[in-house]
Amino acid sequence: MAKKKNEKKKKSGGIVGFLRDFTYGMATHGMARHALKTRSSMEHLFILITMGDMLGIPILPPYYSLRLLPHVVPQITTWKRRMLREKDFVESMY
Amino acid sequence: MSLATIFEKYPNRQYIMFGGKGGLGKTTFSAATAYYLAKKGKRVLVFSVDPQASLSDIFERDIFGKGNIEIIPNLYACEVDADKRIRDYQEEIRQKIISMYGMEKIPEEIESYIRASSAEPAMEESAIFDAVVDIVVKGDFDYYIYDLVPLGHALYYLSMASIYDAWLEKITGLREQMREYDRAIATMQREDVSEEDEIYKELMYIKNRIGASSKIMTDTEKTAFFFVLTPEEMIIADTEKAAGLFAKYDVPLAGYVVNRVISRGLLDEKIPEYLRNRIEMQAHALDVINEKFGSLVLARVPEFDSEIKGLDTIKKLAEVMFEETLS
Ligand SMILES: Nc1ncnc2c1ncn2[C@@H]1O[C@H](COP(=O)(O)OP(=O)(O)OP(=O)(O)O)[C@@H](O)[C@H]1O
Ligand SMILES: [Mg+2]
Repeated sequence: MAKKKNEKKKKSGGIVGFLRDFTYGMATHGMARHALKTRSSMEHLFILITMGDMLGIPILPPYYSLRLLPHVVPQITTWKRRMLREKDFVESMY
Repeated sequence: MSLATIFEKYPNRQYIMFGGKGGLGKTTFSAATAYYLAKKGKRVLVFSVDPQASLSDIFERDIFGKGNIEIIPNLYACEVDADKRIRDYQEEIRQKIISMYGMEKIPEEIESYIRASSAEPAMEESAIFDAVVDIVVKGDFDYYIYDLVPLGHALYYLSMASIYDAWLEKITGLREQMREYDRAIATMQREDVSEEDEIYKELMYIKNRIGASSKIMTDTEKTAFFFVLTPEEMIIADTEKAAGLFAKYDVPLAGYVVNRVISRGLLDEKIPEYLRNRIEMQAHALDVINEKFGSLVLARVPEFDSEIKGLDTIKKLAEVMFEETLS
Protein backbone atom coordinates (compact mmCIF):
# COMPACT_ATOMS: atom_id res chain seq x y z
CA MET A 1 0.00 0.00 0.00
CA ALA A 2 2.66 2.45 1.09
CA LYS A 3 4.82 1.42 -1.80
CA LYS A 4 2.05 1.89 -4.30
CA LYS A 5 1.44 5.41 -3.07
CA ASN A 6 5.11 6.09 -3.35
CA GLU A 7 5.13 5.13 -6.98
CA LYS A 8 2.13 7.26 -7.64
CA LYS A 9 3.94 10.25 -6.26
CA LYS A 10 6.97 9.58 -8.38
CA LYS A 11 4.88 9.26 -11.48
CA SER A 12 3.10 12.56 -11.09
CA GLY A 13 6.13 14.19 -9.44
CA GLY A 14 3.99 16.74 -7.60
CA ILE A 15 3.07 20.07 -8.99
CA VAL A 16 6.70 21.14 -9.09
CA GLY A 17 7.83 18.21 -11.20
CA PHE A 18 4.82 18.71 -13.31
CA LEU A 19 5.69 22.32 -13.93
CA ARG A 20 9.30 21.47 -14.74
CA ASP A 21 8.39 18.71 -17.18
CA PHE A 22 5.94 21.00 -18.71
CA THR A 23 8.24 23.96 -19.10
CA TYR A 24 10.77 21.83 -20.91
CA GLY A 25 8.31 20.02 -23.10
CA MET A 26 5.24 21.96 -23.93
CA ALA A 27 6.24 25.56 -23.49
CA THR A 28 4.71 26.57 -26.75
CA HIS A 29 1.31 25.22 -25.97
CA GLY A 30 -0.45 28.37 -24.85
CA MET A 31 -3.64 26.79 -23.68
CA ALA A 32 -1.94 24.18 -21.59
CA ARG A 33 0.24 26.86 -20.09
CA HIS A 34 -2.73 28.88 -19.11
CA ALA A 35 -4.45 25.88 -17.59
CA LEU A 36 -1.34 24.99 -15.67
CA LYS A 37 -0.97 28.47 -14.34
CA THR A 38 -4.53 28.54 -13.14
CA ARG A 39 -4.17 25.10 -11.67
CA SER A 40 -1.04 26.16 -9.84
CA SER A 41 -2.59 29.26 -8.33
CA MET A 42 -5.46 27.09 -7.18
CA GLU A 43 -2.94 24.80 -5.54
CA HIS A 44 -1.49 27.72 -3.63
CA LEU A 45 -4.89 28.95 -2.64
CA PHE A 46 -5.81 25.48 -1.50
CA ILE A 47 -2.73 25.07 0.65
CA LEU A 48 -3.18 28.53 2.06
CA ILE A 49 -6.69 27.86 3.22
CA THR A 50 -6.09 24.38 4.51
CA MET A 51 -2.66 24.83 6.04
CA GLY A 52 -3.02 28.52 6.80
CA ASP A 53 -2.28 27.99 10.47
CA MET A 54 1.38 27.57 9.50
CA LEU A 55 1.36 31.29 8.93
CA GLY A 56 -0.80 31.98 11.94
CA ILE A 57 -4.07 32.16 10.03
CA PRO A 58 -6.23 29.42 11.48
CA ILE A 59 -8.95 28.50 9.04
CA LEU A 60 -9.72 24.83 9.29
CA PRO A 61 -9.94 23.31 12.80
CA PRO A 62 -6.32 22.26 13.40
CA TYR A 63 -7.29 18.70 14.22
CA TYR A 64 -8.66 18.36 10.73
CA SER A 65 -6.03 20.30 8.86
CA LEU A 66 -3.48 17.89 10.30
CA ARG A 67 -5.41 15.16 8.50
CA LEU A 68 -4.67 16.81 5.18
CA LEU A 69 -1.00 17.36 5.95
CA PRO A 70 0.34 14.00 4.69
CA HIS A 71 -1.13 14.70 1.28
CA VAL A 72 0.52 18.06 0.82
CA VAL A 73 3.98 17.35 2.22
CA PRO A 74 5.68 17.79 -1.19
CA GLN A 75 3.99 21.12 -1.79
CA ILE A 76 4.56 22.59 1.64
CA THR A 77 8.24 23.35 1.26
CA THR A 78 7.98 25.27 -1.99
CA TRP A 79 4.79 26.89 -0.90
CA LYS A 80 6.17 28.16 2.37
CA ARG A 81 9.23 29.55 0.65
CA ARG A 82 7.05 31.40 -1.81
CA MET A 83 4.78 32.77 0.91
CA LEU A 84 7.72 34.02 2.91
CA ARG A 85 9.23 35.64 -0.13
CA GLU A 86 5.98 37.42 -0.84
CA LYS A 87 5.73 38.45 2.77
CA ASP A 88 9.26 39.90 2.71
CA PHE A 89 8.41 41.67 -0.45
CA VAL A 90 5.26 43.20 1.00
CA GLU A 91 7.06 44.18 4.18
CA SER A 92 9.91 45.78 2.27
CA MET A 93 7.44 48.21 0.74
CA TYR A 94 6.71 49.83 4.10
CA MET B 1 -44.55 19.18 32.66
CA SER B 2 -42.00 17.32 34.74
CA LEU B 3 -38.57 16.09 33.78
CA ALA B 4 -39.72 12.46 33.97
CA THR B 5 -42.65 13.04 31.61
CA ILE B 6 -40.32 14.65 29.05
CA PHE B 7 -38.30 11.44 28.95
CA GLU B 8 -41.45 9.31 28.73
CA LYS B 9 -43.05 11.43 26.07
CA TYR B 10 -40.01 11.69 23.84
CA PRO B 11 -38.24 8.32 23.97
CA ASN B 12 -36.39 9.12 20.74
CA ARG B 13 -34.49 11.98 22.27
CA GLN B 14 -31.40 9.98 23.06
CA TYR B 15 -28.83 12.79 23.09
CA ILE B 16 -29.13 14.66 26.33
CA MET B 17 -27.26 17.85 27.18
CA PHE B 18 -27.22 20.03 30.24
CA GLY B 19 -25.91 23.48 29.54
CA GLY B 20 -25.38 26.45 31.77
CA LYS B 21 -22.82 28.70 33.32
CA GLY B 22 -19.89 27.29 35.26
CA GLY B 23 -20.58 25.51 38.53
CA LEU B 24 -24.38 25.53 38.40
CA GLY B 25 -24.77 21.75 38.37
CA LYS B 26 -24.36 20.43 34.81
CA THR B 27 -22.16 17.52 35.81
CA THR B 28 -24.33 16.77 38.81
CA PHE B 29 -27.49 16.66 36.68
CA SER B 30 -25.79 14.65 33.94
CA ALA B 31 -24.75 12.02 36.46
CA ALA B 32 -28.15 11.95 38.17
CA THR B 33 -30.00 11.69 34.86
CA ALA B 34 -27.70 8.89 33.73
CA TYR B 35 -28.32 7.13 37.02
CA TYR B 36 -32.08 7.51 36.70
CA LEU B 37 -32.23 6.24 33.11
CA ALA B 38 -29.94 3.29 33.90
CA LYS B 39 -32.22 2.33 36.81
CA LYS B 40 -35.07 2.43 34.31
CA GLY B 41 -33.28 -0.24 32.30
CA LYS B 42 -31.74 1.95 29.59
CA ARG B 43 -28.16 1.61 28.45
CA VAL B 44 -26.64 4.97 29.16
CA LEU B 45 -23.29 6.58 28.46
CA VAL B 46 -22.46 9.80 30.24
CA PHE B 47 -19.30 11.38 28.92
CA SER B 48 -17.20 14.39 29.66
CA VAL B 49 -14.59 16.21 27.68
CA ASP B 50 -13.60 18.36 30.62
CA PRO B 51 -9.92 17.99 31.55
CA GLN B 52 -10.95 18.73 35.16
CA ALA B 53 -12.14 15.11 35.39
CA SER B 54 -15.43 15.96 37.05
CA LEU B 55 -17.15 12.63 36.43
CA SER B 56 -14.32 10.90 38.27
CA ASP B 57 -15.09 13.22 41.18
CA ILE B 58 -18.81 12.66 41.28
CA PHE B 59 -18.67 8.89 40.79
CA GLU B 60 -15.65 8.68 43.07
CA ARG B 61 -13.78 6.55 40.55
CA ASP B 62 -10.75 7.37 38.47
CA ILE B 63 -12.07 6.95 34.94
CA PHE B 64 -10.00 9.61 33.16
CA GLY B 65 -8.79 8.46 29.76
CA LYS B 66 -9.84 4.87 30.41
CA GLY B 67 -12.69 4.47 27.92
CA ASN B 68 -16.25 3.51 28.87
CA ILE B 69 -16.31 2.39 32.49
CA GLU B 70 -19.31 0.61 33.98
CA ILE B 71 -20.48 2.41 37.09
CA ILE B 72 -23.63 0.40 37.83
CA PRO B 73 -25.40 -2.04 35.47
CA ASN B 74 -26.39 -0.13 32.32
CA LEU B 75 -24.57 3.03 33.38
CA TYR B 76 -21.26 3.79 31.71
CA ALA B 77 -19.12 6.85 32.14
CA CYS B 78 -16.28 8.12 30.02
CA GLU B 79 -13.80 10.94 30.39
CA VAL B 80 -11.91 11.82 27.26
CA ASP B 81 -8.21 12.53 27.66
CA ALA B 82 -7.83 15.18 24.98
CA ASP B 83 -4.05 15.56 25.35
CA LYS B 84 -3.46 11.88 24.85
CA ARG B 85 -5.79 11.84 21.89
CA ILE B 86 -3.83 14.66 20.28
CA ARG B 87 -0.49 12.96 20.91
CA ASP B 88 -1.67 9.63 19.48
CA TYR B 89 -3.13 11.38 16.50
CA GLN B 90 0.05 13.33 15.76
CA GLU B 91 1.96 10.08 15.85
CA GLU B 92 -0.53 8.54 13.46
CA ILE B 93 0.01 11.45 11.05
CA ARG B 94 3.79 11.04 11.27
CA GLN B 95 3.54 7.33 10.51
CA LYS B 96 1.27 8.06 7.61
CA ILE B 97 3.71 10.54 6.10
CA ILE B 98 6.61 8.17 6.57
CA SER B 99 4.86 5.29 4.88
CA MET B 100 3.32 7.39 2.12
CA TYR B 101 6.64 8.78 0.95
CA GLY B 102 8.96 6.06 2.14
CA MET B 103 10.78 8.61 4.28
CA GLU B 104 13.21 7.78 7.02
CA LYS B 105 12.46 10.90 8.95
CA ILE B 106 9.81 13.61 8.85
CA PRO B 107 11.20 16.78 7.20
CA GLU B 108 11.97 19.46 9.78
CA GLU B 109 9.45 21.88 8.33
CA ILE B 110 6.66 19.34 8.56
CA GLU B 111 7.69 18.17 12.01
CA SER B 112 7.66 21.68 13.40
CA TYR B 113 4.21 22.18 11.95
CA ILE B 114 2.95 19.02 13.63
CA ARG B 115 4.50 20.07 16.92
CA ALA B 116 3.18 23.61 16.76
CA SER B 117 -0.33 22.40 16.04
CA SER B 118 -0.76 21.05 19.57
CA ALA B 119 0.06 24.42 21.09
CA GLU B 120 -3.00 26.02 19.53
CA PRO B 121 -6.01 26.32 21.80
CA ALA B 122 -8.26 25.41 18.90
CA MET B 123 -6.40 22.13 18.61
CA GLU B 124 -7.72 20.90 21.90
CA GLU B 125 -11.22 22.05 21.11
CA SER B 126 -11.31 20.49 17.70
CA ALA B 127 -9.78 17.25 19.02
CA ILE B 128 -12.48 17.12 21.68
CA PHE B 129 -15.09 17.83 19.07
CA ASP B 130 -13.83 14.89 17.06
CA ALA B 131 -13.69 12.65 20.13
CA VAL B 132 -17.35 13.39 20.78
CA VAL B 133 -18.24 12.55 17.20
CA ASP B 134 -16.40 9.26 17.70
CA ILE B 135 -18.45 8.48 20.77
CA VAL B 136 -21.86 9.32 19.40
CA VAL B 137 -21.62 7.88 15.90
CA LYS B 138 -21.01 4.39 17.28
CA GLY B 139 -24.63 4.27 18.41
CA ASP B 140 -24.39 1.43 20.91
CA PHE B 141 -26.23 3.14 23.78
CA ASP B 142 -29.86 4.09 24.30
CA TYR B 143 -28.83 7.42 25.73
CA TYR B 144 -25.81 9.68 25.38
CA ILE B 145 -25.47 12.31 28.02
CA TYR B 146 -23.01 15.09 27.23
CA ASP B 147 -21.45 16.60 30.28
CA LEU B 148 -20.56 19.89 28.70
CA VAL B 149 -18.09 22.40 29.96
CA PRO B 150 -19.57 25.90 30.24
CA LEU B 151 -21.70 27.36 27.50
CA GLY B 152 -18.88 28.71 25.42
CA HIS B 153 -17.89 25.18 24.64
CA ALA B 154 -21.31 24.08 23.55
CA LEU B 155 -21.45 27.16 21.38
CA TYR B 156 -18.06 26.34 19.92
CA TYR B 157 -19.44 22.95 18.90
CA LEU B 158 -22.46 24.47 17.30
CA SER B 159 -20.78 27.35 15.57
CA MET B 160 -17.99 25.10 14.39
CA ALA B 161 -20.50 22.83 12.78
CA SER B 162 -22.36 25.56 10.96
CA ILE B 163 -19.35 27.65 9.96
CA TYR B 164 -17.30 24.73 8.71
CA ASP B 165 -20.19 23.17 6.92
CA ALA B 166 -20.39 26.20 4.67
CA TRP B 167 -16.62 26.48 4.45
CA LEU B 168 -16.08 22.85 3.52
CA GLU B 169 -18.69 23.20 0.84
CA LYS B 170 -16.54 25.89 -0.80
CA ILE B 171 -13.23 24.12 -0.36
CA THR B 172 -14.49 20.84 -1.81
CA GLY B 173 -15.81 22.91 -4.70
CA LEU B 174 -12.34 24.34 -5.25
CA ARG B 175 -10.87 20.86 -5.07
CA GLU B 176 -13.30 19.64 -7.70
CA GLN B 177 -12.31 22.52 -9.94
CA MET B 178 -8.67 21.62 -9.49
CA ARG B 179 -9.49 18.10 -10.62
CA GLU B 180 -11.16 19.48 -13.71
CA TYR B 181 -7.97 21.32 -14.58
CA ASP B 182 -5.91 18.20 -13.92
CA ARG B 183 -8.06 16.30 -16.37
CA ALA B 184 -7.90 19.02 -19.00
CA ILE B 185 -4.14 19.33 -18.69
CA ALA B 186 -3.67 15.56 -18.84
CA THR B 187 -5.74 15.40 -21.99
CA MET B 188 -3.79 18.21 -23.63
CA GLN B 189 -0.55 16.51 -22.78
CA ARG B 190 -1.90 13.12 -23.81
CA GLU B 191 -1.35 11.64 -20.41
CA ASP B 192 -3.50 9.37 -18.34
CA VAL B 193 -5.90 11.09 -16.02
CA SER B 194 -4.33 10.85 -12.59
CA GLU B 195 -5.59 8.68 -9.77
CA GLU B 196 -8.31 9.42 -7.30
CA ASP B 197 -7.91 12.57 -5.28
CA GLU B 198 -6.96 11.54 -1.75
CA ILE B 199 -7.40 15.07 -0.48
CA TYR B 200 -10.91 15.21 -1.80
CA LYS B 201 -11.65 12.00 0.06
CA GLU B 202 -10.24 13.46 3.28
CA LEU B 203 -12.32 16.59 2.85
CA MET B 204 -15.46 14.52 2.41
CA TYR B 205 -14.55 12.59 5.53
CA ILE B 206 -14.13 15.81 7.53
CA LYS B 207 -17.35 17.15 6.13
CA ASN B 208 -19.21 14.05 7.21
CA ARG B 209 -17.73 14.14 10.70
CA ILE B 210 -18.69 17.75 11.28
CA GLY B 211 -22.03 17.24 9.60
CA ALA B 212 -22.87 14.23 11.76
CA SER B 213 -22.29 16.23 14.90
CA SER B 214 -24.26 19.28 13.84
CA LYS B 215 -27.11 17.06 12.70
CA ILE B 216 -27.36 15.53 16.15
CA MET B 217 -27.12 18.85 17.96
CA THR B 218 -29.96 20.36 15.99
CA ASP B 219 -32.24 17.35 15.62
CA THR B 220 -35.39 18.04 17.62
CA GLU B 221 -36.43 14.43 17.29
CA LYS B 222 -33.30 13.04 18.85
CA THR B 223 -31.81 15.72 21.06
CA ALA B 224 -32.87 17.40 24.25
CA PHE B 225 -30.96 20.37 25.55
CA PHE B 226 -31.67 21.46 29.13
CA PHE B 227 -30.55 24.70 30.68
CA VAL B 228 -29.40 24.59 34.27
CA LEU B 229 -29.89 27.76 36.28
CA THR B 230 -30.12 28.88 39.88
CA PRO B 231 -32.58 31.35 41.37
CA GLU B 232 -30.40 34.46 41.09
CA GLU B 233 -31.15 37.54 39.00
CA MET B 234 -27.76 37.60 37.31
CA ILE B 235 -27.99 33.93 36.36
CA ILE B 236 -31.49 34.37 35.00
CA ALA B 237 -30.33 37.20 32.75
CA ASP B 238 -27.33 35.18 31.51
CA THR B 239 -29.49 32.14 30.88
CA GLU B 240 -31.94 34.17 28.81
CA LYS B 241 -29.10 35.55 26.73
CA ALA B 242 -27.60 32.10 26.19
CA ALA B 243 -30.98 30.63 25.29
CA GLY B 244 -31.31 33.32 22.63
CA LEU B 245 -27.92 32.42 21.19
CA PHE B 246 -28.71 28.73 21.18
CA ALA B 247 -32.00 29.35 19.45
CA LYS B 248 -30.02 30.94 16.62
CA TYR B 249 -28.24 27.64 16.08
CA ASP B 250 -31.54 25.74 16.14
CA VAL B 251 -30.66 23.81 19.28
CA PRO B 252 -33.81 22.01 20.45
CA LEU B 253 -34.39 23.48 23.89
CA ALA B 254 -36.25 20.94 26.03
CA GLY B 255 -36.59 23.03 29.16
CA TYR B 256 -35.03 24.56 32.25
CA VAL B 257 -33.99 22.93 35.50
CA VAL B 258 -33.59 25.17 38.52
CA ASN B 259 -30.93 24.07 40.97
CA ARG B 260 -30.05 24.85 44.57
CA VAL B 261 -33.44 26.02 45.76
CA ILE B 262 -33.30 26.50 49.52
CA SER B 263 -36.31 25.11 51.38
CA ARG B 264 -38.74 27.78 52.58
CA GLY B 265 -39.46 25.51 55.53
CA LEU B 266 -36.21 26.77 57.00
CA LEU B 267 -37.83 30.15 57.60
CA ASP B 268 -39.69 28.66 60.55
CA GLU B 269 -36.47 27.58 62.15
CA LYS B 270 -33.73 29.47 63.88
CA ILE B 271 -31.47 30.35 60.98
CA PRO B 272 -28.89 33.08 60.47
CA GLU B 273 -30.02 36.36 58.98
CA TYR B 274 -28.05 35.96 55.75
CA LEU B 275 -29.81 32.68 55.01
CA ARG B 276 -33.17 34.31 55.65
CA ASN B 277 -32.24 37.02 53.14
CA ARG B 278 -31.12 34.48 50.62
CA ILE B 279 -34.39 32.60 50.84
CA GLU B 280 -36.32 35.85 50.27
CA MET B 281 -34.13 36.71 47.30
CA GLN B 282 -34.63 33.24 45.87
CA ALA B 283 -38.39 33.55 46.28
CA HIS B 284 -38.35 36.67 44.15
CA ALA B 285 -36.03 35.10 41.57
CA LEU B 286 -38.23 32.01 41.37
CA ASP B 287 -41.19 34.26 40.54
CA VAL B 288 -39.17 35.84 37.75
CA ILE B 289 -38.20 32.39 36.47
CA ASN B 290 -41.85 31.31 36.40
CA GLU B 291 -42.81 34.46 34.56
CA LYS B 292 -40.08 34.13 31.96
CA PHE B 293 -39.88 30.39 31.39
CA GLY B 294 -43.27 29.20 32.69
CA SER B 295 -44.13 25.66 31.75
CA LEU B 296 -40.63 25.06 30.42
CA VAL B 297 -39.37 24.85 34.00
CA LEU B 298 -39.23 21.09 34.45
CA ALA B 299 -37.81 20.70 37.94
CA ARG B 300 -36.76 22.69 40.97
CA VAL B 301 -33.98 20.89 42.76
CA PRO B 302 -33.33 21.67 46.41
CA GLU B 303 -30.02 22.69 47.89
CA PHE B 304 -28.45 19.62 49.50
CA ASP B 305 -26.54 20.06 52.71
CA SER B 306 -23.54 18.26 51.29
CA GLU B 307 -21.68 18.10 48.01
CA ILE B 308 -23.23 15.70 45.52
CA LYS B 309 -20.73 12.87 45.37
CA GLY B 310 -20.94 9.10 45.38
CA LEU B 311 -23.79 6.84 44.30
CA ASP B 312 -25.94 7.28 47.42
CA THR B 313 -26.16 11.02 47.05
CA ILE B 314 -26.57 10.80 43.27
CA LYS B 315 -29.51 8.49 43.85
CA LYS B 316 -31.12 10.93 46.30
CA LEU B 317 -30.70 13.75 43.85
CA ALA B 318 -32.11 11.67 40.97
CA GLU B 319 -35.13 10.86 43.11
CA VAL B 320 -35.97 14.51 43.73
CA MET B 321 -35.16 15.53 40.17
CA PHE B 322 -37.43 12.89 38.67
CA GLU B 323 -39.92 12.77 41.56
CA GLU B 324 -39.71 9.01 41.85
CA THR B 325 -38.36 6.50 44.35
CA LEU B 326 -35.63 4.37 42.79
CA SER B 327 -34.70 0.82 43.77
N1 LIG C 1 -28.48 20.84 44.56
C1 LIG C 1 -27.23 20.92 45.04
N2 LIG C 1 -27.00 20.95 46.36
C2 LIG C 1 -25.75 21.02 46.86
N3 LIG C 1 -24.66 21.07 46.11
C3 LIG C 1 -24.81 21.04 44.78
C4 LIG C 1 -26.10 20.96 44.18
N4 LIG C 1 -25.93 20.95 42.83
C5 LIG C 1 -24.60 21.02 42.62
N5 LIG C 1 -23.94 21.08 43.77
C6 LIG C 1 -22.47 21.16 43.96
O1 LIG C 1 -22.01 22.30 43.22
C7 LIG C 1 -20.74 22.04 42.67
C8 LIG C 1 -20.76 22.33 41.19
O2 LIG C 1 -21.63 21.42 40.55
P1 LIG C 1 -21.26 20.76 39.13
O3 LIG C 1 -19.88 20.28 39.14
O4 LIG C 1 -22.34 19.78 38.82
O5 LIG C 1 -21.40 22.05 38.24
P2 LIG C 1 -21.02 22.21 36.71
O6 LIG C 1 -22.06 23.07 36.13
O7 LIG C 1 -20.79 20.88 36.10
O8 LIG C 1 -19.66 22.99 36.83
P3 LIG C 1 -18.55 23.24 35.70
O9 LIG C 1 -19.09 24.34 34.87
O10 LIG C 1 -17.35 23.61 36.48
O11 LIG C 1 -18.42 21.94 34.95
C9 LIG C 1 -20.39 20.61 43.00
O12 LIG C 1 -19.55 20.60 44.09
C10 LIG C 1 -21.74 19.98 43.36
O13 LIG C 1 -21.62 18.93 44.29
MG1 LIG D 1 -19.08 20.09 35.05
